[in-house]
Amino acid sequence: MTQEEIEKTYFQRTSRWKYSIILLVLALFVTVIVSLNVGYAQISFPDILAILAKQIPFFGGLVDSSLFLPRDAAIILQIRLPRIIAGIIVGAALSSSGVVYQGVFKNPMADSYLLGVSSGAAVGASLSMLFGAGFSILGLGLIQVAAFVGALCAMFLVYNIARVGSRVPITMLLLCGIAVNFFMYSIVSLLEVIAGDSLHSIVFWLIGGFSNVLWSQIWAVLPLIVVGTVASYFYSRDLNLLALGEETAHNLGVNVEKVKNRLLVFASMVAAAAVSLSGLIGFVGLMVPHITRIIIGPDHRILFPASIITGAIFLVICDAIARVIATPFASTLELPVGIITMLAGAPFFIILLRKKKQSYAL
Amino acid sequence: MHYERLALDLVTLNVDGVECRYGSVKVLEDVSLSVKEGDFVGILGPNGSGKTTLIKSISRSLKPYRGTILLNESDIYTLKGVEVARQMAVVPQDSAISFGFAALDIVLMGRNPHMTRFQMEGNKDLAIARKAMELTNTWHLSERPINELSGGERQRVIIARALAQEPRILLLDEPMTHLDIINQLEIMDLVKSLCMREKLIVIAVFHDLNLAARYCTSCLLLKGGKIFSTGSLDEVLTSENIRSVFRVNAIVKKHLVTNSLFVLPLSPEKSSPAKTCSIHLVCGAGTGAALMKLLLDEGYSVTAGVLNVLDTDFETAQFLKIPVTTEAPFSPITEKTQEANLAMMSRASTVVLTSVPFGHGNLQNLETAKQALKNGIPTIVMDEVPIESRDFTGGKAKELFSELKCMGAVFVSNQNELLQWLNVSEEKAKTAILEKNRILSHLKPGSIPGSTERK
Repeated sequence: MTQEEIEKTYFQRTSRWKYSIILLVLALFVTVIVSLNVGYAQISFPDILAILAKQIPFFGGLVDSSLFLPRDAAIILQIRLPRIIAGIIVGAALSSSGVVYQGVFKNPMADSYLLGVSSGAAVGASLSMLFGAGFSILGLGLIQVAAFVGALCAMFLVYNIARVGSRVPITMLLLCGIAVNFFMYSIVSLLEVIAGDSLHSIVFWLIGGFSNVLWSQIWAVLPLIVVGTVASYFYSRDLNLLALGEETAHNLGVNVEKVKNRLLVFASMVAAAAVSLSGLIGFVGLMVPHITRIIIGPDHRILFPASIITGAIFLVICDAIARVIATPFASTLELPVGIITMLAGAPFFIILLRKKKQSYAL
Repeated sequence: MHYERLALDLVTLNVDGVECRYGSVKVLEDVSLSVKEGDFVGILGPNGSGKTTLIKSISRSLKPYRGTILLNESDIYTLKGVEVARQMAVVPQDSAISFGFAALDIVLMGRNPHMTRFQMEGNKDLAIARKAMELTNTWHLSERPINELSGGERQRVIIARALAQEPRILLLDEPMTHLDIINQLEIMDLVKSLCMREKLIVIAVFHDLNLAARYCTSCLLLKGGKIFSTGSLDEVLTSENIRSVFRVNAIVKKHLVTNSLFVLPLSPEKSSPAKTCSIHLVCGAGTGAALMKLLLDEGYSVTAGVLNVLDTDFETAQFLKIPVTTEAPFSPITEKTQEANLAMMSRASTVVLTSVPFGHGNLQNLETAKQALKNGIPTIVMDEVPIESRDFTGGKAKELFSELKCMGAVFVSNQNELLQWLNVSEEKAKTAILEKNRILSHLKPGSIPGSTERK
């Protein structure tokens, strides 16, 4: 091979990255449109597109509002769209923090709830459901705030128990995370036992879902998630180097402890924000990074954005299924999306894994 | 590799009085080392002597408790990670990678210290990575996932990554652990040539003393975290040093073919219980060397003769510090030496005759053995090679051989039989001594019962 050919094959790969991102974004768009169509009220695709187009600044003025019913516009914009946007945000957030955790910990079992985020949030949310009144802060309900605070508290607890001087050994973090999770979940179980009437809402929250998501809640968590995810993405080459081992990353010029600390803080913040919006949605943070890695490879510079979009698509689809799957049996019954992510995701993941099991690592 | 640098851009590394601790345990104490371009320094020592710790502290991974490490006059612990990584590459001991990166990706990661945060690898990086992979003979593996490669292939990719860093200093921490012989030699040849051509500083931890002897220009021998010996190979790699640091008896010699030192470990330093029997070996031309060591290890005291100076057996005896009656090189045995030999022989409790070839130069040794047998010293003949094929005296040796047989010499066919026979006579000798002591103790006045009453 000549040098030119080598360069060509190598840079073909980088342009393949661009195409896959474009493809994924398109897929996300289609998913959103299709999923806007899903629901009890029948709204046609042209109507959906018109309603959406009407919302675009400047261009929106050109769209004739007689093309669709105001009732449909309200359903799309106030009920379906917030759910879908919430799905995108939460799916993206959970996958992004999952990628970071798996990269930093070099552990295939790592997910976005690893450092006590889930259990801390669960304790906070359950407590607020048991004892809290219905007041809200910054457009967020008490449950959301309590969940976010609980998640951050648990995370700081885990982090500080695991810290040895200025270093944070990976194994210590993993073990402390597991221990704290168990401890917190036992508190949640205790609360469930004494919950009485609130039991139903606690259980629902623990499975996770998007019913009754409001725009105000989305606006409240979005900045945290965007900032945390973008900041993590800056470190995607460091994540590649960390995959070679901390010692090697250090020898290649990475400030390992600093990068690790920052990434863990960003990822936990993102996960905590997501959890406060949706409750505990399982599987996404653990499996979406694996699924994307199987398809696209281990390089975090592409794995990271690809996982984020894949996670968003995955969760939007799951939510659409959750909305309609039970309607034949009871028109108002809606399953929590957390059930669907696991029911649909696990078999899909197993199929992929079996196909690739010879060569898949991590 | 093509380094773009100024002629005066000299690289030095100075380790000064470094002490490292894990918690409160000192693992390295007062280690100093000064290296300049083109040096190839080997770090040697047994397990737990602090070799890897030294590499760690030089690679900025373990800050010394005391002392400094200066890279071009600046303390590496005040420099930024990338600044050090542009100058120094490390090949670690264990390089298992859990992600399925392609080998080329792994090598390109070596370019990290030369890139800014959002930069993507460019043509130049690719060209450098390719060169590094060609040098380490891994270019054909460039598309393969690293976790599917064999240990040796993977290690070569890791070395390519280190080279892609375009380092001025290369630290190798037992890099050959996973490699077979050909890979070891190829990689070490490459490192050595980079060291000489590009004036790289190479600091390598070795377990294999021979590999170290072959490639290093100087070395550092560590024992219990301290420098035991440092300097040129000839100064450091001596059998005395190896015995005191590794507790192994070893032969160190200059090899005729490679012209570098080679180390032959013989046995762990051990003390078998000393035996009462002493053995005189009639040997030569290397037939006695192995036997000398075997008998010494078994705890016998050994003498040998007559040997010509510079004979292989003579050199072995010198090394093992065995008393020998000697004759000048390539000379027949004179009467005087023969007498000396006979005297030495009669002090022994057993004479062993190896399968040495007999010529007119050493035929007298057989005569001496006959004499010993006459004097009542048991004689064992190692009859591994038929006497006909090693008799260069026109039958005289054969004649003497049959005489020995008639006079009651014991013929054995291998070392095991010899040892068995010696064991039996050792037991006999011991019983005899015990018996003698018992009789002597009875004869002592003080030990007779009732004698104390007289006082």
